[in-house]
Amino acid sequence: MKLIINYLKPYKFLVLLNIVSIFGFALAELGIPTLISDMIDEGVLRQDSQYLFRTGLIIACIALIGVCGTILLGYCCAKISTSVTRDIRNDVFKKVQTFSHAQMNEFGVSSLITRTNNDAYQIMVFLNVILRTALLTPVMFFVSFTLTIQSNLQLSMIIASTIPLIILGVILVGRFSEPISEKQQGSLDRLNRIFRENLTGIRVIRAFNNDAYESKRFDEENRFFMNQSRKLFKLMSSTEPMFFFVMNLAALAIYYVAAGMIDANTLQVGKLIAFMEYLFHAMLSVMLFCTVFMMYPRASVSARRIRAIFDSRSEITEQNDAIDLEHVDSLEFDHVTFAYPDGEEAVLKDISFSVKKGETIAFIGSTGSGKSTLISLVPRFYDVSQGSIRINGRDIRSYKIDSLRACIGYVAQKAVLFRGSIEENIRFGNAHASQQEIEKAAHVAQAYDFIMEKPEQFQERIVEGATNVSGGQKQRLSIARALVRHPQICIYDDSFSALDFATDAKLRKALKPEIKDSIMMIVAQRVSTIMNADHILVLDEGKTVGYGTHTALLKNCPVYKEIALSQLSEEELTYGK
Amino acid sequence: MENRTIKTKDCLKALLHFMKPYRFKLSIAILMIVLTQLSFALNPTVEGMITTSLMQDAMDIIQGVPGAHVHFETILGIMLLLLGLYVIKTVSQLITAFFLTDAIQMTMHDVRNALQKKIQRLPVRYFDDHAFGDILSRVTNDVDALSNALQQALTRVFGAVLTFIFVITMMLMINPVMTAIALLIIPLSLIITKVVVSHSQKLFEKQQNTLGELNGTITEMYGGFNEIILYGKQQDAIQIFQDVNDKMCKASFKAQFVSSLISPLVSLCTYLAIGAVAVFGCVLVIEQKLQVGNLQAFIRYIWQINDPLSQISQLSSQVQSAFAGMHRIFGMLAEEEEPLEKTEVKEVDTMKGDVKFEHVQFGYDEDLLMKDVNIDVKAGQMVAIVGPTGAGKTTLMNLLLRFYDVKGGSIKIDGVDIRDFKREDLRSLFSLVLQDTWLFHGTIYDNIRYGRLSARKDEVIEAAKMANVHHFIRTLSHGYDTELNEEANNISQGEKQLLTIARAILKDPQILILDEATSSVDTRLEKMLQSAMQRVMKNRTSFVIAHRLSTIKNADLILVLQHGDIVEQGTHESLLEKQGIYEKLYHSQFAQQEE
Repeated sequence: MKLIINYLKPYKFLVLLNIVSIFGFALAELGIPTLISDMIDEGVLRQDSQYLFRTGLIIACIALIGVCGTILLGYCCAKISTSVTRDIRNDVFKKVQTFSHAQMNEFGVSSLITRTNNDAYQIMVFLNVILRTALLTPVMFFVSFTLTIQSNLQLSMIIASTIPLIILGVILVGRFSEPISEKQQGSLDRLNRIFRENLTGIRVIRAFNNDAYESKRFDEENRFFMNQSRKLFKLMSSTEPMFFFVMNLAALAIYYVAAGMIDANTLQVGKLIAFMEYLFHAMLSVMLFCTVFMMYPRASVSARRIRAIFDSRSEITEQNDAIDLEHVDSLEFDHVTFAYPDGEEAVLKDISFSVKKGETIAFIGSTGSGKSTLISLVPRFYDVSQGSIRINGRDIRSYKIDSLRACIGYVAQKAVLFRGSIEENIRFGNAHASQQEIEKAAHVAQAYDFIMEKPEQFQERIVEGATNVSGGQKQRLSIARALVRHPQICIYDDSFSALDFATDAKLRKALKPEIKDSIMMIVAQRVSTIMNADHILVLDEGKTVGYGTHTALLKNCPVYKEIALSQLSEEELTYGK
Repeated sequence: MENRTIKTKDCLKALLHFMKPYRFKLSIAILMIVLTQLSFALNPTVEGMITTSLMQDAMDIIQGVPGAHVHFETILGIMLLLLGLYVIKTVSQLITAFFLTDAIQMTMHDVRNALQKKIQRLPVRYFDDHAFGDILSRVTNDVDALSNALQQALTRVFGAVLTFIFVITMMLMINPVMTAIALLIIPLSLIITKVVVSHSQKLFEKQQNTLGELNGTITEMYGGFNEIILYGKQQDAIQIFQDVNDKMCKASFKAQFVSSLISPLVSLCTYLAIGAVAVFGCVLVIEQKLQVGNLQAFIRYIWQINDPLSQISQLSSQVQSAFAGMHRIFGMLAEEEEPLEKTEVKEVDTMKGDVKFEHVQFGYDEDLLMKDVNIDVKAGQMVAIVGPTGAGKTTLMNLLLRFYDVKGGSIKIDGVDIRDFKREDLRSLFSLVLQDTWLFHGTIYDNIRYGRLSARKDEVIEAAKMANVHHFIRTLSHGYDTELNEEANNISQGEKQLLTIARAILKDPQILILDEATSSVDTRLEKMLQSAMQRVMKNRTSFVIAHRLSTIKNADLILVLQHGDIVEQGTHESLLEKQGIYEKLYHSQFAQQEE
């Protein structure tokens, strides 16, 4: 609720107009019965047909005002609800852009998608109901109450007495529905996740003939979701008849009391009719109010899920006195130890090394030895737990994050490309790159030839998920994307794995002159990829077990030797010398 | 590819088909709606009886008729009747709520299941052509929109129709002339609604399409999160998103505002009709041709007609989103499925695994990628596929598993055309390990067992041991019960690949496909894995796509692909002798070592 109110603030004027227009609507709905009761009391009893026609005209005027009010209401309501939804989505998206990796993993991509999309939509639906119908009910009650209190206090008290009952009902329903609704939304998340897995794993699922298993998995969650929905909707849709019944009883009470008053000649029949009309309209508005119940629990859960995004704090922060990083001369790891935020054991233990401009450092080690984690510390995807990483002698946490990352070209293991042309995808690395620079980068990344083979060449569209290029092509495009930045620190996280040997070799050859003023960090599986590096760091279970050049390591590092021997023959190893 | 469009009539038919199993609950709900509306329609008349009686008594009292007083016995009698009506109405409403909810939610459950099953039967091509976000949105947003509309609008719409019937009957009984005036509302409202809806329907469709676009953008941006923050593209991403979002905002504002016009315009008709009826009715009352209570009841009836009319239009935005959603749901369900299979069952258990490509032609679109591919593999042989990146190595796998069908020629296993198998039977012959490791949210144990669901625990562990991943799993805090999270990024790419290998081993197939499977496993592990693989590949036909030529030296057959076609085939030695592409490829790996 708080969230919605905050977002309504910029639209104060529209909200005010919204309320004013509701009064216009109430005027018509309640004014017309009042006038009709006058017609009966004044016109019929006095047999004054002139009065009847005059009142008829007034009714027409009021009707027009009412209609204008309602149109205005529709306008305000649509404007406010869609604008607020847009604002919420924008803010959620902006916030997600500031997320760290830890936060991203905590929420999960598909949950973030639902939050940005579906949860914001729920809030829009709810806001619509609030602005259009929920605000109407108090206004109607207020107006009919003022109208009745003037003519008859006793009868108006009967109407008033229903109010606490209804409020009590509202609270009770809210109390019961909230937990169910929460379960339902959680289940929806899981349902989406399974469906998403079904989409992404389509080939694997089919190859393993596990259709039935997937259907069962989906159906289990689907069934749970259905049961929660059933409970929720049953609760929601029984509120309306119950409230209506309360109002009905009030009507009976009014008749009974009114009969006594008429008997004592203290009430006119026309007034009674007006009373019943007011009650009827109040009832209708209560009925509309009940739609709020249909929406509130969902909206409140959605609001909470959106708030969770806003409340989430990134552990990667920028110091107030952070300075810009302009050029990189050296990079140093000083006794770095790192554990993932939710991990117990350190992934990296006491890692130290230093590289200067123009040098290449390579990381090798078995799967799970912490190579990828190590390099992900450089662009501050995570911050070190102990020790420090320094660039030009200063801790990287003392630089502005943007300027730090601007110096880095990072090619991830799993390349992600975006919808758009190939050129746009490369230009992603550097918005100011000239056409020549883009082509050059494509050349170096060994992507030029296959790009030129595409029908549209550099203008060839990449579709969502980049399913129209192969894994190796994706990697080469992402390398070109990194190169076009002219990065001072190049990080290749096993980026050559999807390339065949020939392409791998050509690429590295072309790369060499490009990076002579940069620091190059390579994670690789193939010894041949890294044997010419200035420094090679051999990792095993997060610890340094060897550090030096290829030749030195072959002599004094058994782990390295084992890896090297597994790939190259004794002869090939020396061949390299 | 264009989405299949489907007529509204067919949509509704499809929806009714889904509701059929719950027709009992639905009928009860509908019966109860009738009862509700009937008592609702009787209320004003009975209330009017009280008023008339009171008016009579009041007139007598005012005119000083001796002994005039309110006839409490009559009034109490009528009130009792009224109470009865109220109770009937409330109870029947409650019953409706329960049965209808059950029927609708169960139907939605079935629709979701149908969509999930549908994606299993759609050709793989469909997923290559459609964005995931868009398909996903059908299961979530669209089904949700439909469920909400049914849940809230169905009772109201149906109730409204009944209200019309009952109320008009009651009105006619009171006064036909006044009824004629009042009923002018209905044709007027219908015209108004029709005009507005014809405009808003298009706007709603546009809104729904924009929603799909928004969804696609979000999916992509969140998926490419790493890239965006690395390249400092947050601002650009925000800009792109804001543009789409703005478009969305405008589209939904228009749709909402236009459809909200129905309600006030209908109300205007009602107000005017009430005014006219009131004047006319009062004249009649003066002329003593009408009872006051009936006038009151009559005016109430007009409100009762107006109420559903304006409510339907308020619900119309929901109903219209639902219609748009329904089109997308049933459009997808009507999408063409993988061609029907031959029904004859082949005994696959005893198959050996001879694979033969005979003059195979294939292309993903009009152009042929493979023009004339011929391969002959004997059972138990190891086939290595090499070639530059993008030469179409994956395409061979797509054809073998019938993710795509050949355009010419045939592929035969043990001499049987693979199109003569049931797809399930065909695929049961294969096990595959793809470069793009796919694991699902669940325990590691479940993920390995996925290869053969009937496997025992010791078999699962045995497979893990063979894939050299057992030790790694044991080091995890929960061992085999460790849950992989949503993106499965709590373990590394290499570890994931080992798990998929274990999964493939567990299946114990006749034919094994390894698609660049070992690219992320470090070589020390790969060495161990290779030996495990050798063991597994024994007596099995295997296709290996690998980049390390050293690993395929001992293959029985090496296929060299270029631009989709096989340009060379033979053994390592024979290909080297040939001094062709393979020879160049092979030596390039030493070339760079000489630098």
